[in-house]
Amino acid sequence: MSATSAATARKDENSGIAIKPQLRVLLVEDNPADRDLILRELRKGEFDVISDVVQTAEEFRQRIKTNIPDVVLADYNLGQWRGMEALEILRAEGLDIPLILVSGAMGAVTAVECIKQGVTDYVLKDSLARLSVALRGALKDKEARQERNRNQQALAGKVEELARSNADLEQFAYVASHDLQEPLRMVSAYTQLLAERYRGKLDEQADKYINYAVDGAARMQSLIQDLLAFSRVGRQETALKTTDCNEIVGQAMRDLQAAILESGATVTHGPLPRLMASSSQLKQVFQNLIANGLKFRRSEPPVIHISAEKQGSDWVFSVADNGIGVSAEHAESIFIIFNRLHTRTDYPGNGIGLAISKKIVERHGGSIQAVPNQGGGTIVRFTLPAGKSADRQDPA
Amino acid sequence: MMAGTAEILLVDDNPADLDLTIDALAQSSWPSHVRTVSDGAEAIAFLRREGKYSGAARPHLVLLDLNLPRKDGRSVLADVKTDPALRRIPVVIFSTSQAAKDIERSYELGANSYVSKPPTLAEWVAAVKLLKDFWIGCACLPREEQND
Repeated sequence: MSATSAATARKDENSGIAIKPQLRVLLVEDNPADRDLILRELRKGEFDVISDVVQTAEEFRQRIKTNIPDVVLADYNLGQWRGMEALEILRAEGLDIPLILVSGAMGAVTAVECIKQGVTDYVLKDSLARLSVALRGALKDKEARQERNRNQQALAGKVEELARSNADLEQFAYVASHDLQEPLRMVSAYTQLLAERYRGKLDEQADKYINYAVDGAARMQSLIQDLLAFSRVGRQETALKTTDCNEIVGQAMRDLQAAILESGATVTHGPLPRLMASSSQLKQVFQNLIANGLKFRRSEPPVIHISAEKQGSDWVFSVADNGIGVSAEHAESIFIIFNRLHTRTDYPGNGIGLAISKKIVERHGGSIQAVPNQGGGTIVRFTLPAGKSADRQDPA
Repeated sequence: MMAGTAEILLVDDNPADLDLTIDALAQSSWPSHVRTVSDGAEAIAFLRREGKYSGAARPHLVLLDLNLPRKDGRSVLADVKTDPALRRIPVVIFSTSQAAKDIERSYELGANSYVSKPPTLAEWVAAVKLLKDFWIGCACLPREEQND
């Protein structure tokens, strides 16, 4: 009823030369005198103001649903309700609209409290001249906030996209390797059957061809098994629980006992921390790294030492060996799945151990790298976040 | 251990796997008679002696694949193990799947054991022979068809 129509406002202002930026203002005011004062002040400012006035909370709630303003000016002390309630209504509607309080008298403490709660600014009725400054500030604020939101949304979108594409890849690797197994098993079993039952019954060439087929199928089976194991790391839910690394390194060593005995290796470890981890996955990391130390050995018996030290908020683990070492140019590529630096004859295996270890460490929020050990050999270092519940079992 | 000829039912849609299994079963010395069906619905018809299976012998052992056309192996297992006339028949799941959920679900449904199809010929033959030696040559089986 008391709304000054947009058309009127524009007509008044259009006599001027400069085109003012348009601004839709919703005024929450039940005192007609104050209302007129504020509207007059608004028209003096630098904006082409389209104003609208509401008095009650219900009116306010209805109006912002149909007609979203750029800014809300609310009297702090209305007859039936308070300007701060307008802020709550805006929030409940999910609207990010700056709200400026207009008040006859407002103490500094109250003002600060209101701003803390989310009011953009406040203007006293006896210094309404400040209104245009407050409006400008409010709009700038809103733009900055919107810009920040846009950036955050764009980033979140990218992150989500990346996560989805990773999940798709995991799923693809898993399904592909899973579904490939059955036909491959047929090829493998029947070439083996041919080899068993027809060896020497055809000719030498035939025996050789059959052996190639048997070898090829067997190698492909082992690659698929490894691919499955690799993609399974990504599919597993990683339930983190307090893990005593001394214990899991002990388990890993027990699992490798046969290989340790056979190679005559010495495997030792310093004091290791307790931290939050998936113990089965972390055991796999230690097991892979120790197994590499045993495998990539020189002629002398392998010597492997595992240690940990706290650096900032991380634990840094080192698995050091006296083996053949790795050159700087290969220090990164050895972590790529199926990447091998040696022939299968020299060092058997598919090149899966470090790739799986890297994936596990990264899923735990850490990183992994290989560096040369002084006096030959390799040190594989990886970090794990110490977390809150890690105890202070500092390695001496 | 059973006297006489053991009746073994193989349920698998892959003829290559069926041939390998028949071959491997023959390497166990216990006399047996092997029947095969290639989907789940056939398996149920066979066990219930429906239609063309009206004269079928009750098997002493069933090797059941999980992924089958028409009626899934899990559903066959569930039907057999909830049917008073059939539930005493030992059913061994013999599947490519090594997924924990397949293994757990099968035991929940009452599978008598779960064997994952081995990747190599030698292991395949060994596993099937072991299964037959145990279930036919060693385990005590229910004697007669009984209704509860």
